[in-house]
Amino acid sequence: MRHDCIIYTILGLLLIALVLMSGCTQAPAATGPSEIKIGVVASLTGPASTTGKDIWQSAELAADEINAKGGVPVRELGRSLPVRLVQGDDESTREGGMKAVTKLITQDQVHVLVGGYSSAVVSAHQSIVADNKVPYIISGASSSAVSRRKDLDTSYMFFHRPNTDDSAEASIQFLTEVFRPAINAKFGFSDGRKLRVAVIYQDSPFGKGQLDAVKSLIATKNLPIEVVAEEPFKMGESDFRTVLTSVKSKNPDVIYAVTFLNELVPMTQQARRDVGLNTVIMAIENNDDPDYYSGVGMYGDGMVMESRFSPYAVPAGSTEAATRKFLSDFDRKYGGFAGMMGAATYESVYIAAAAIEQAGSLDRAKIRDALATIRVPQMMEIMKNGTITFSPDYRESKFDLYVVQLAMDQKLGEPRPVIVWPGNLKAGDFSIPDWYTPGSP
Amino acid sequence: MDGGIAVLGQVAFWGLYSGCIYILLATGLNLIFGVMKVVNFAHGEFLMLGTYITFFFFVLSGFNPYLLLFLSIPILIGAGIIVERLCFRPILGTGKLNEIFISLGLIYIFQNGVAMVFTDEWRSMKSPFADLTIAVGPIQLPLDYIIIVAVTAIILVCLSVFLNRTTTGKAIRASSQNRKGAMLMGINVERMDMLTFGIGAGLAGAAGTLWAVSGQVFNPYMGSVPAIKGFAIIILGGLGSIPGAIIGGLAIGMVENFTAFFLGGSWKDAISFILLIVVLLVKPTGLFGEEGE
Repeated sequence: MRHDCIIYTILGLLLIALVLMSGCTQAPAATGPSEIKIGVVASLTGPASTTGKDIWQSAELAADEINAKGGVPVRELGRSLPVRLVQGDDESTREGGMKAVTKLITQDQVHVLVGGYSSAVVSAHQSIVADNKVPYIISGASSSAVSRRKDLDTSYMFFHRPNTDDSAEASIQFLTEVFRPAINAKFGFSDGRKLRVAVIYQDSPFGKGQLDAVKSLIATKNLPIEVVAEEPFKMGESDFRTVLTSVKSKNPDVIYAVTFLNELVPMTQQARRDVGLNTVIMAIENNDDPDYYSGVGMYGDGMVMESRFSPYAVPAGSTEAATRKFLSDFDRKYGGFAGMMGAATYESVYIAAAAIEQAGSLDRAKIRDALATIRVPQMMEIMKNGTITFSPDYRESKFDLYVVQLAMDQKLGEPRPVIVWPGNLKAGDFSIPDWYTPGSP
Repeated sequence: MDGGIAVLGQVAFWGLYSGCIYILLATGLNLIFGVMKVVNFAHGEFLMLGTYITFFFFVLSGFNPYLLLFLSIPILIGAGIIVERLCFRPILGTGKLNEIFISLGLIYIFQNGVAMVFTDEWRSMKSPFADLTIAVGPIQLPLDYIIIVAVTAIILVCLSVFLNRTTTGKAIRASSQNRKGAMLMGINVERMDMLTFGIGAGLAGAAGTLWAVSGQVFNPYMGSVPAIKGFAIIILGGLGSIPGAIIGGLAIGMVENFTAFFLGGSWKDAISFILLIVVLLVKPTGLFGEEGE
């Protein structure tokens, strides 16, 4: 009796298993993928982790918004698919980036890649992207040497950022049109006096690209600017005292700083506080981040920054509403404000979604072709002609850039920016700080 | 002022400041190596912990950050003792490979632990003396850096008095010179190991406090580069030699800053190792090292 009971139990279990298994096979067969996988390449650890976190959170915000609206319609599948983001931590290193991108492509099998911050890191994994032919919307890596390289096929890479030539041009234009006349007028310098610029740059493709662009612009346009110092520093450096002492000995009128966020904070503080260098620092757009304002404190007062997205200085006009919504949504979800790299990556996720919708397919080649011809209305960053589109030659989008000046807000205990250039966007006038000392007459 | 004495004097002062941080780090490292012959690659993480302890209590209490040395040093001594007892004592004498992997494991544990609590964002803090500068002739000396140099000197004098004048200090030196001999003389060398590891970690904690007070930024991953330089310094100065660590630290601080001034900041890290190679070619035991170390 006991024996029969065991046999019936086993038979019963087998029957249940059979029913379950047959249920599995009789379920409607999945027709194609159930989600769109977007790989986000970001420096989530290492020296650039502050920016990396911003990139990831902004991408997440965009994906959540797209999914809340029902996902992305894919014509070939006849339905909409949700977006799923996959993290690719490049560890702020070239090797880390190569590992992360290889994993995203081969293991996670993402349909599109977005993100990428450091030019050095992106340049190291470009060959992997080229070999595997995965569409990659790069929101950082501003060095023109990255987007215009000839040694590999970059046709699957789309650069949603101004290149080093674009940002250097805006910065130098500001220095020529606004800064130089202002100090000439205030200190009684002759019109023929050249502006003395010291360039302190990260020893990387990003830094060297900016330096080359600045020097090339001055030479080709015969601008009244003299580069009196060129001081490189190692990526991730936090002690700039000796470099700044060297710069001080060259008597510059302005320091052109090509840095990452975690480098600009100590550089600005050490310049004024430790070295007594009472010179305005002109920084590059990637530093326009809430963490810079909170980190630099009172020493940021008076400095200027070329920008394309500022968390605290929203340009009036067609992008204002979208920018304020993005900032407010980001603040609600994560507490705090997003920076420029976050905004660019948020837009990149939307561009990827638009390209997939236009391609009507998750085929990587078709998505690439869609990106090559895509026209997306500008979102938060002000684009040339109001549209996000990629140039036919190097697949770079073109921005209208501006310059902000920081002024200390005593109530907040940290500085806040005001747009001071160009004329059509400015909300205030550039002013020479009281503590400022110009270079040699 | 271009190339003038004042500028070189200013650069030498920055070198002296960097040297102080290196001296504290390398002295602790060398003390541990001298007694235990242990290679602890996680020593830079003690410095990192020192910065966060200072930062945390500074935000919490608003105390003068220099007073927080009296917190960071004891806490790190305690942490060092725990690490020695739990991680290094069980593998003592089992081979260098075990020590290396234990210390690599500790690096990840400390880094990720701190990142979990404080996040991995870059932090900095402002000393109450940040805006005060003393002019010595044409050279501007920020008060904080003068205090840092003075504090380092005081710590080194205290360490010297402890090692040379107290019974426990003499026991530590005896353990370092001849472990078996020390045991035969009734010295509890395992207790000396624990104490030495604690003091080494405490010195790194002091370096962390001074790093944070000087206004330098820090995050959970900042300890690796100073630790590598700490190793270069103790090899340069001679393994196990405290004077070697002091001279080596000062030399690296000076050479780094003068190199950054004359050749550019890109060479700052490379020069430490170029100097190391040159010294080892001329004197393989390091500046103050002895045969057999």
